[in-house]
Amino acid sequence: MTQYAMVIDLNRCVGCHACAIACKAEWGVPAEYHRSWLRRLGPAMTPDGMSYTYFPGLCNHCDDPVCVPVCEADPEEKVFTDPKTGKTMTMEVRATYKHPFTGAVLIDHDRCIGCEMCVDACPYGARYMDYTLDEPKADKCTFCMERVEHGEVPACVKTCLAGARIFGDLHDKKSEVYDLVHNKGAIRLTSSEVVIGPNVYYIGNPRDLHLLKETCTPHKMNAGRTSRRAMLAGLHRRGGNLLAGAGLFGAVAGLVDLTSSDSNSEDKSF
Amino acid sequence: MKLTRRRFLQNAGITAAALATWKIPKGVLASPVPAATMASGLPGSLGAQEVTSVCEMCFWRCLLTGKIKNGRLVKLEGNPKSPANGTKLCARGNAGIKLLYDPDRLKYPMKRVGTRGEGKWQRITWDEALDTTAENLNRIKKEHGMESLALFYHGASAKFIEPFWHHIGNPNRTEPAFFQCRGSRDIGYLLTFGDSPGSPERMDMEKTRLMVFLGTHLGENIHVSHVMHYIEGLCNGAKLVVVDPRFSASAAKADKWLAIRPGTDTALLLAWINYIIQHGLYDKEFVAKYTTGFKKLKDSVKDCTLDWAAGLTDIPAGQIKETAELMGKLAPHVVIHCGRFVAWYGNDTQRSRALAILAAILGTYGVEGGMYLKSKPPRPKASLFQSDEEESDLEPISDKWPFPPPGTPSEGLIEATLTGKPYPIKSWVIWGTNTIQTIPASHRTIEALKKLDFVLAVDQIPNDQTLFADIILPQCTYLERYDTVYVWKDVKVPYLSVRQPMVKPLYESRDPYWITKQLAERLGYSDCFPYKDAKEYAEKKLESVDLSLEKLNKEGGVVTFQGRPYFTRENPPEFDTSDGKVQLYSEEMEDEDLDPIPRFEPTPAPPKGYVRLLSGRTPVHTFTRTRNNVWLNAEQSENDLWLNDKVAKKLGIKNGEEVCMENQRGVKTRPIKVKVTPGIRWDCVYIVHGYGQLSRHLTQAYHKGVSDGLTFAKNTLDPVTGANAMRVNFVRLIKDGKVLEMPELGPLPSGIPRFQM
Repeated sequence: MTQYAMVIDLNRCVGCHACAIACKAEWGVPAEYHRSWLRRLGPAMTPDGMSYTYFPGLCNHCDDPVCVPVCEADPEEKVFTDPKTGKTMTMEVRATYKHPFTGAVLIDHDRCIGCEMCVDACPYGARYMDYTLDEPKADKCTFCMERVEHGEVPACVKTCLAGARIFGDLHDKKSEVYDLVHNKGAIRLTSSEVVIGPNVYYIGNPRDLHLLKETCTPHKMNAGRTSRRAMLAGLHRRGGNLLAGAGLFGAVAGLVDLTSSDSNSEDKSF
Repeated sequence: MKLTRRRFLQNAGITAAALATWKIPKGVLASPVPAATMASGLPGSLGAQEVTSVCEMCFWRCLLTGKIKNGRLVKLEGNPKSPANGTKLCARGNAGIKLLYDPDRLKYPMKRVGTRGEGKWQRITWDEALDTTAENLNRIKKEHGMESLALFYHGASAKFIEPFWHHIGNPNRTEPAFFQCRGSRDIGYLLTFGDSPGSPERMDMEKTRLMVFLGTHLGENIHVSHVMHYIEGLCNGAKLVVVDPRFSASAAKADKWLAIRPGTDTALLLAWINYIIQHGLYDKEFVAKYTTGFKKLKDSVKDCTLDWAAGLTDIPAGQIKETAELMGKLAPHVVIHCGRFVAWYGNDTQRSRALAILAAILGTYGVEGGMYLKSKPPRPKASLFQSDEEESDLEPISDKWPFPPPGTPSEGLIEATLTGKPYPIKSWVIWGTNTIQTIPASHRTIEALKKLDFVLAVDQIPNDQTLFADIILPQCTYLERYDTVYVWKDVKVPYLSVRQPMVKPLYESRDPYWITKQLAERLGYSDCFPYKDAKEYAEKKLESVDLSLEKLNKEGGVVTFQGRPYFTRENPPEFDTSDGKVQLYSEEMEDEDLDPIPRFEPTPAPPKGYVRLLSGRTPVHTFTRTRNNVWLNAEQSENDLWLNDKVAKKLGIKNGEEVCMENQRGVKTRPIKVKVTPGIRWDCVYIVHGYGQLSRHLTQAYHKGVSDGLTFAKNTLDPVTGANAMRVNFVRLIKDGKVLEMPELGPLPSGIPRFQM
């Protein structure tokens, strides 16, 4: 099985925002939203010296995506195909799911009811509600699976002039991402409160990684915040299996936080 | 003509493979794709029709592949066959389609119906617009002479009007963005090496062992191939020394950041040169064989000691010594970067000379990892004019300066408009340049614009200067037109490409060739522009080098040639100077009573209670002209004010709070958010250039952020070139209506006077 992953090299990244714009162009993302974004960090002092770096972010396609079990759409059976072997399997999923053969977390837009639960659940703020649509729906990065299936690299990778974005299969021991993650110290943005296995990694010098971790690591699961829209949707669906799909991917880490956190908790931490 | 085997970049192969195997596996892909991007049946930009062209979101001109679906341009990517940018584009290049489809675009010819500056217009026909323009220009020329007309221009869109202006014998033409960017730099290098450092700058960063940046902000300035070479160099282990009052994007990647006192760069350069000479770290063979004036240089800089420079620059003597030794150790594989956007203090030509001299004595010229050589690819030719250039007995205003870059310093034309001296200027033709924001002391520019008899503006979007125009002509974007054939020679692998349309011009916009030809005819020059259209012109140019559009497109939109980047036995050093040698001592400058060897001339320090206002670039915008692009605007819609953290603490200003700036003339800005950071010296503040547009027709950009241009009240000119200086203005902050005196956190050395209010 494949788990697509991305490693972003902050030693190379020059913060040019090309990734963010190429993504918008490729997928027609409305101006006010991002599937892929870039935040400028610093200049700020760290224990390792002054840092002025960037947070190029996108959906982490987590091992245990908290956005999946909160989906309020009705579950349906779906046939998944392994793009490498052609093997198929059938799984009951809601509108958002983790693809069993690529590890990409995707949204079935036709079935998204726009409840916004997944947007609220993501501790990384990687999802948005597209309110430019007549019927607003959730959206986010797909790791450009559509392009990858056609032999292309993700749009952000293709345009990255610094060669800072490395994309590949983390389960393939010969891949560059495997090497960077297992041998070159690539890190991910996790905290003791948020451990859901993000598949976007970062490498960089100690001062830049320090500033990145300090300012961009989520420390709170956000499921306590529910939108009015989600509550309304939820009224009609109580009793549905909230945890559909969870068994398939193992227990959802952080689930305790997710269900017990204070409903008055503050907004996202970044 | 010799064509080398084209270099295919990595991704080219992937694209080809993808084209061959398009099919959608069932059940996998159908759902995650928004319907809007599925127009051709394939998602995103996949399966689109492709047209190659040349970008114009900035002057770097990367090679493009446009992706077209159902007649609509859906995406721009780098042309994988480009030997420079490959599949890569910057944010601006990627956002080009939002210039094309900007709803605020100038759609029809218009005439002014309000007062100048009000921006009230009425739609008219092309005939009326062109006839009115020609009537006015002909009348003013008849009444006041050719010299009463002036051209302000910029970019590819002016590639026809500029030579036309030259052809008709009118010396009043200026490219403000060139003067305010690299005009003085180019002259400094020309006086030293007999050639400018080029654009792209011929800095061999990918092969170097050390880069020294003084006036280079890669990461904030994004020129794709240049940044690619920079990053390759760093990843190959090159060291980086950055001299900057601010912890810039480049400083963030540097091994050494020298936080220099603004205005003292030449002192640092002279101390480096002195140390390198005194300690025998220079390239003795190169100096002996290929330079002139070494002894005079040595004598001239002998008092520029480490301690002397340390006092002036506020850089510890140990750091100056250490970096000089590093240069000596790693020479000649050292890039002394010539910089860009370096019109700073009004002594910029001399500072550029000092950079060039440093590069020369280290023996870096024409050497791998130093400054590579210009290539000599074939030059496509096709004349736009059928008659000889008109003779002019006018004494050009540019003669006021000894070594002006091509054209006339913008200030010379503004001064003539305001004072009528040396002759009155009555009409401006403004072609693709924001004269309000680009030229310092905009209050004078606006005064001049209001005084004129007739103003024509040609542009794509209703930028600030269009508010002051009597007639506005809508020009189509670079994505809707043929322009010319481009040849890149300041690169190691020279190449040729052509701009061609991806879609038809929208609305009533027209291409620059057509507009210029129509104007020329109406001005009585019907023998100019003999080709039917820009396409025919491009074909004629290609024909002169045994190419055609068809052949070029078969080649994937680019043809490469053999380069000669380094000196070899067959390619020995040649310098196009008076004696064929590098001019460490410039007799040409001496003849003009200018210092033949650069000398440190102090730039006045801020008056008490003020700090210097610095400005620079953001990677998501070009000059002032991309602020209305909806995608780029969303990335960075406003600028912020960098303020030293210790100063902020003393003033009680917190990160994210809003303040106003007030310059030394009492001009106040609108509020701007403060970025409190240790990454800037205490004696300056910094904002990104190009924000705070005045035109309310720019619905994305209007009044977003604060304009540096409008805050620059003082006008200091480089005595060598006549170019404006951009770092000679001072500000203090106003918070909650209260004027804050800026504290001084260090002493001012005795050699530096204060600016007198």
